[in-house]
Amino acid sequence: MIGIIEALINGILMGSIYGLTAVGLTLIFGVMKVINFAHGSILMVGMFAAYWFVILTGWNPYLAILIVVPLLFYFGYFMQSWVIKPIFEAEKDVREPITVIIVTTGIWYVLDNLALMIFGAEFRVAKTTVTGKIVEFMDMYFLLPKVIGAGITIACGIYLYWFLKHSKMGKAIRATSLDREAASLMGIKQSKIYNIAFGLGSACCGMAACVLVPFYYVYPTVGVPFDIKAFIIVVLGGLGSIPGAILGGVIIGIIENVGAQFMAATWTELLLYAVFLFVLLVKPSGLFGLKQDF
Amino acid sequence: MKLLKKLVIPVVVLAMTVTTFGVSQASTTTVKIGNIIPLSGPSASVGIQGKQAREMALEEINSSGGIKSLGGAKLELLFADSKSDPTTGVTEAERMINTEKVHILTGCWNSAVTYPTTQVAERYGIPFIVPVSVRDTITERGFKNVFRIAAKDGWWAKDQFKFLKDMQDEFGVDVKKVAFVYENGDWGVGFAEKWKVFAKEAGYEVVLDEPYPSTASDLTPVVIKLKRAKPDVVFMTSNAADAILLTNTMAEMKVNVKAIISSGGGHADPSFLAAAGKNAEYLFDIVEWETDLNRPGLQETNEKYKKLYGHNMNGESVDAYAAMYVIKEALEQAGSTDPAALRKTLSEIQVCGGKAGLLAYDCVDFDETGQNKNASLVIVQTRTNGAEMDRITVWPKNVRRAGYTPVFPQPTK
Amino acid sequence: MKNYLNQNPVVLKLTILLLAALFLLPLVVTSPTLMQIFILVILYAYFTSTWNFVGGFAGVLPLGHSAFVGIGAYTSTVLLQTYGLSPWFGMIVGGLLAAIVGVIIGLPTLKLRGAYFALATIAVGEGIRVLFENVKQVGPFKINGPSGISITLTENSFTAFQFDTKAPYYYIILIMLLVVLLLTYYMMNSKIGYYLAAGGEEPEAAEALGIKVSRYKVIAMAISCFLTALGGTFYAQLMLYFYPKSILGLDLSYEIAFIALIGGRGTILGPVLGALLLRPVSELTRIYIGDMLPGLHLVIFGLILIIVMRYYPKGLVVPVKALFNRHIIDRFSKPKRIDESTTTEKAD
Repeated sequence: MIGIIEALINGILMGSIYGLTAVGLTLIFGVMKVINFAHGSILMVGMFAAYWFVILTGWNPYLAILIVVPLLFYFGYFMQSWVIKPIFEAEKDVREPITVIIVTTGIWYVLDNLALMIFGAEFRVAKTTVTGKIVEFMDMYFLLPKVIGAGITIACGIYLYWFLKHSKMGKAIRATSLDREAASLMGIKQSKIYNIAFGLGSACCGMAACVLVPFYYVYPTVGVPFDIKAFIIVVLGGLGSIPGAILGGVIIGIIENVGAQFMAATWTELLLYAVFLFVLLVKPSGLFGLKQDF
Repeated sequence: MKLLKKLVIPVVVLAMTVTTFGVSQASTTTVKIGNIIPLSGPSASVGIQGKQAREMALEEINSSGGIKSLGGAKLELLFADSKSDPTTGVTEAERMINTEKVHILTGCWNSAVTYPTTQVAERYGIPFIVPVSVRDTITERGFKNVFRIAAKDGWWAKDQFKFLKDMQDEFGVDVKKVAFVYENGDWGVGFAEKWKVFAKEAGYEVVLDEPYPSTASDLTPVVIKLKRAKPDVVFMTSNAADAILLTNTMAEMKVNVKAIISSGGGHADPSFLAAAGKNAEYLFDIVEWETDLNRPGLQETNEKYKKLYGHNMNGESVDAYAAMYVIKEALEQAGSTDPAALRKTLSEIQVCGGKAGLLAYDCVDFDETGQNKNASLVIVQTRTNGAEMDRITVWPKNVRRAGYTPVFPQPTK
Repeated sequence: MKNYLNQNPVVLKLTILLLAALFLLPLVVTSPTLMQIFILVILYAYFTSTWNFVGGFAGVLPLGHSAFVGIGAYTSTVLLQTYGLSPWFGMIVGGLLAAIVGVIIGLPTLKLRGAYFALATIAVGEGIRVLFENVKQVGPFKINGPSGISITLTENSFTAFQFDTKAPYYYIILIMLLVVLLLTYYMMNSKIGYYLAAGGEEPEAAEALGIKVSRYKVIAMAISCFLTALGGTFYAQLMLYFYPKSILGLDLSYEIAFIALIGGRGTILGPVLGALLLRPVSELTRIYIGDMLPGLHLVIFGLILIIVMRYYPKGLVVPVKALFNRHIIDRFSKPKRIDESTTTEKAD
C-alpha cells in the first residue's frame, strides 16, 4: 500500500515536470495551430545550456534559470522569425499548415545531430548541490529536485495563465489564437505575436530543462522520449490549454508510476496510449480544450 | 533540357558513378576491411568507441609494415553507419561486398543488425568477424563465414550465476530472493530467459521479473517496485541511459540489496561511471575485459588509447581492437586476400599473444560454428578511488586484483 | 489530370519508353547493391503512394502508417512459419487484416481535425509497436517479442516468395507500384476522389452539401491500409528478418509521410518523385559522410527537408512538372529525337 502511495506522489512530481515540457508545445499550438516536432530538441538545447552553466560556474543549478530561460526565449524567437516564418507566410490561408510540421521535423533532425557532432554521444550528469538529495516522509523517499521542479512548474503555470489572461501582450496572443484575421484587423502584428509565442514556448522548455538537469542526464537525443509524452499530454489536456497541459502531465505521471506497480513497466507504456486514444474518442477536445480545434 | 539535367541527372549520375567507379579493382597493396557499426542513433556511443579501437589497431599494423606475406600490404578500413537498423545494415553489407569489394567484414554490435547482416556475408561467402554481439543464435545457424570473438549471452548469464554461487561460498552469505530488471529489447530479454533457467536450477526465488522500455523517461516506478520486492540480489541488463537512471534512483531511494550484478553494455559504458559516480559503488559487472587485467602490454596500449580518445578501453573496444589483429594474423597465414582462403585460415587459426593477447584469455580459437571457444568473462566490482570510480577485477578468483577483497554483501545505506 | 493521357502524344510515348526502360533495367544492371537500392527506392515509392490515399486525398496527416507495414509483414510471416502457407496468400490475409484495423482506427479518428488526427495516428502506431514488443506468442503464432522473426531460408521459389537474385524482387515491387499508381489515377477520377477533394480542406462545407466525407475518408483509409500491408509482406520476404523497432517504429512512419510531402502529396507522381530523390540522398549522405562525422548526414537530410519546404511547399513535383512541360514537351513536340538516358531519369 505504502508503495502505491509513494508511486502516486512520485507520479505527481514527475508528471508535473512532464506538464512543464508540454506547456510550451500547447502554447505554440494554441497560437499557431502548428505541432512543433522540434520541441524535444529545444528541450535538449536547454538542457545542454543548463548543464554547461552548472559545470562552468558550479553555482546552484536553479540560478541557471536566469540565463537559460531568456536564452531559449530568443532561440525560439529567432528560430520562428528566420526559419519558420517564411514557410508559414506561404501557407497563411491554410487552416493547419502541414508544411510547417515538416519543417519543425527538419529542425529536430538538424539540432539533435548537431548536438551529436559538437558534444559527442556521451551521457552527462551534472553533479549539483541538490543532486541526490531526498525528502524522507514515513519510509517514503522523494527526490528533492523533483519536489522543487513540481513547485517551479506550478509557479510557471500560474504565471503564464495570469500573463495570458491579464497582460496586454497576453491578450494579444489570445486574440491571435482565437481569430488570426480579426486580430490583425485590430492592429495586432501577427508575425511578432508568433515570434513571441514561439519564444515563450521555447522558454518553457528552458525552464523544464533547468528543472531536469539536477536529476537527469543530458544526451543529444534526450528530448525524444519527452517529445512523445508531450504529444500525449497536450491532447489529454486539450490542445492550447495551459492548465490542461499541467494536469495532463500529472495524469500521465500517475498512470506511469502507479500503473507500473500492478504490471510490468513495458505494459504501462501501452496503457498510456490506450488512455490517450480513449480520451480522443470520448472527448477529443481533451480536458480543457476548445471545441473548435478538434 | 539543360535545367532538367541540372535537377535530376546529378542524383542519378552520382548514384551511378558512385557504384561503378567505386568498383575500381582493389590493388594488391591494400586489404579492405568493411566495418558496419552504429555511428549515429541510440547506440552511437558504443559504435564510435569501436571505430576508435579499430583505427588505432589499423594505424599500428600499417606503420609496422602491413601484411608481410602479402608484400607489406596495407589494411584499409571502410566504415558504414548501421544506425542500429537491420535494413540499413543489410543494405550496407551488400554495398560493402559488391561495390567496395571488401575482403572481410566486421560488426555490428547490435545483435538485431548482426543477425541479418551476417546472413548476407554468408550468401556471398565473405568472412564476417563479429567482435561483440551476444545473441546466441548468431553462430548457431550452421554458417561457415561468421566468426564471433565475444562470448554468447548464454555464457554471460551462466557466469553471473556461477559468480554469485562462488561469492556466497567465499563469504558465507545467504541469498534466497533474486530480482531481474532488464531492458525489453532483444538483448535484455535474451538474458532474462537464461536467468530464469539458472535461477530455477540454483533454487533461488524470483521475486521480481521486470522488463522496462529502454527509452523510458522515468524509471522511478521500477525502482519503487524493486524496493518493495526486497530481493537479496538484483540482476540487471541496461543500456547506458537507463543504467544511469536506475543506478542513481536506486541509490537515492535507498534500495538495500546484498549485491547488484549487471551485464556489461550500459554499465560498462565509460559515460555510465562518470554519470553515476559514487552511486555505482559496489556494483558487480560482468565484462569481457578490464583495464586492471594482468596482461602483457595492456597498460601501455590502454594509455595510448586514453591519450588519443580521452577514455579507457572497455570490453567492446578491446574486442574490436583484437579483431583487427585476428584479421592481420589470418591474412599473414593465408598469404592471400581470397575470401575462401581467408575463411579456411580463420576456421583453423589460433591467434595467441601479441596485441590480440590483450584479451582476458590467451588465444582466440574459433570452433566449427565460428564461436571463439576461449572467450571467457570476468566480473569486476566498482569502487570509489578518490574522485574517480575504479573497476576492480574480482572473479574468477585466479585473476582477482592482488590485495583486493570484494565487498559482499554491500553495506546498507 | 484526367487529360493527362490525351493531352500530348509525347507524354504517352515517353511513358511507354520509361516503362520499357524500367522493365529492361535488371538486364543492364547486374550489381546486387544497385538493384537493392532500386528496390528500396521503389518500395518506398510504393509505401508513400499507398499513404497518399489517406494523406494525400483525405486532407489529413497520418503519422503511424508503419503499423500497417508491420501488420502485413507479421501476418504473412507467422502464417508461413506456423502453417507453411505461401506468403502470397498471407499477403492478402495481412492486407485484409490491416484494412479492418484501419477502419476500426479510422472510424473515430478520421472525424478529428489535422493535428488531432496526426497525434492519434502516432499513438496508434507506437501502441501497436509496444504491443508487438511485449507479446511473445499469440495462440499458435510465435511473434517473439523484441527479437523479431527470421524467415526460414528455402530454395529459389515463387510460391515461397524467395529468390536468389534481386531481379524477381525488383519486378514484383515494380508491378505493385504500377498497380497502385493506376489505382491512384482511377481514384482521383472517381466519385470518391471528387468527394474527398471537396471535403479535404473544409469537411463541414462538404457535409453541408450532403457529401458524407467521413465515409469516403474511411474507404480511402481501408484501401490505403490494405495496400500498405501488401508492401509489408514484400519487405519481410526481401529482408527475411524483421523485428518490431525495424518495421513498426515512428521512424518508418515519419519517413513515409515526409517523402510524400516533399515529393508532393495528393498527386500521382509526387510520392514517386519524393522517393526517387530522397532515398538516394539519404543513402548517399550516409555512405559518403556517415563515417566522417557521426550525425552530419542527418543534419544535411534535415536541411534539405527545410529548404525544399521553404521554396516548394507544395512539393518538388511542382518545379519538376514545370521543367518537364517547358523542356521536354515543347522540345519533343517538334522534332522526334528521343534521348533515352534522359527519359529514364525523368520521373521513374
